[in-house]
Amino acid sequence: MTEFISISWTQLVIALGLVSISAIASLYYHLKLERDLFIGVIRTFAQLLAMGYLLNILFGLNNAVLVLIVYMIMTFVSVHIVYGRVNERQVAYFAPTTLAVMLSYSLITIIVTKVIIGAEPWWSPQYFIPIGGMVAGNSMNALSLTLERFFSELRTKRNVVEMYLSHGANYKEATEEIFRTSLRAGMIPAINSMMSVGLVSIPGMMTGQILAGADPQEAVRYQIVVMLMVVGSTALASIIVLLLVRKRCFTPAMTLVLTKDHTS
Amino acid sequence: MYSPLPVTNSKNISTPVLKFTNVNFSWPGGAGLRNISFEIPKGQFVLISGPSGSGKSTLLRLVIRMEEISSGTIYLSGTPISSFYPPELRTHIGFVQQQPTLISGTVKANLLFPFTLQSRKNCIQPKNNVLRQWLNKLALDTISLDAPAQVLSIGQQQRLCFIRAVLTKPELICLDEPTSALDMESRECVEHAAEELIKQGTSILMVNHTSYHPTCPHMHLSVENGTVSVLS
Repeated sequence: MTEFISISWTQLVIALGLVSISAIASLYYHLKLERDLFIGVIRTFAQLLAMGYLLNILFGLNNAVLVLIVYMIMTFVSVHIVYGRVNERQVAYFAPTTLAVMLSYSLITIIVTKVIIGAEPWWSPQYFIPIGGMVAGNSMNALSLTLERFFSELRTKRNVVEMYLSHGANYKEATEEIFRTSLRAGMIPAINSMMSVGLVSIPGMMTGQILAGADPQEAVRYQIVVMLMVVGSTALASIIVLLLVRKRCFTPAMTLVLTKDHTS
Repeated sequence: MYSPLPVTNSKNISTPVLKFTNVNFSWPGGAGLRNISFEIPKGQFVLISGPSGSGKSTLLRLVIRMEEISSGTIYLSGTPISSFYPPELRTHIGFVQQQPTLISGTVKANLLFPFTLQSRKNCIQPKNNVLRQWLNKLALDTISLDAPAQVLSIGQQQRLCFIRAVLTKPELICLDEPTSALDMESRECVEHAAEELIKQGTSILMVNHTSYHPTCPHMHLSVENGTVSVLS
């Protein structure tokens, strides 16, 4: 590892000045973003500093139970965020979302740490937590997109779904097209990011590694693993959630649970 | 448990094709249909009329279990509809929605899509000449089977939906205002085709706003204030 320039507290405060551009724009154009900006800055500092200290402790202790606790917390927070974004009241999708995050998080992270990187032990917090965090974060975004699209398509294409059902289709046949569209919505961002990576910007993880003094070649290899695991995990999470949620959108008499009115 | 047996052929000829016994249905808001009882003999043309929002379409949707009754029993050819696996029940009943709904694809793909479903895996798809005969019968003779269905006019789509429902040869056909977007000539084509089906033993329930009176044996159900009365 080569030398790197450490950022002091004073430098961090100077960086804070960059946010003033947003603040001035918000005030000048009456965007009413000042409050969000203020809270956002506070949360960025608080959350990342807390995470930094936590990671220091976790790396030092190297304890499997603590890694498991972090895994549970990250899963819970991801599910909570998906729930807030999707905001569907007529179908119970908490359990399917939790299962989708848990499975994609654990399965993909274990494959990466144990099989691909070969970390010893495979749950080593230095690898498991940052990689798992990226998997959970991307799965969370994919799940939001997938579920949002699925519920909205079911509502807007209610006539088509009912037409299928009335001709004797089962719920899978009646939602085949909507299933495909929703799955694509969840998978496309990760696939698209593979197309542009390295052309326009250097990805976050790679930037961090390079700034921290790592050899760019090493950073590139890690980044490729990350890109591929994100594609895999978003697909896995989206498939699991759709397979589980689709059935819940129908009654035992195979009629649509969702009404036209979103809130009723 | 769902009935594994088909409803036709095993019942007596006098068994009504459709029977409502003390059926109640309510919407989440409270309104609905109350204590509905009537029966429809095989091969009858049933006209359903009533003010807008009275529950005519709901009555049809109850038959194919697109809405669930809160109490009572609905029988299809003597078998309670609740004892069928729902997709299996719907293969016995042809249903034409108020708003014509087609899948993307050709006219032929639309007409044959019910035969691609799991519940009809043992049914034989009708040949092109049968499809053409039906198109001709409903004044759609200028339409190619390979034409994209989505570009058809609403009236043409409505007739296409009618053909799609009858091609599967159901014992009961529920039509929700199947002629609302049709001119007089096309309307007569549909009504004539429906009367032909009655002569072949099919039963038809039709929600209709027009003053149409079938020449074949028929009944008239009036839906008003949450109740259904048999007028003739």
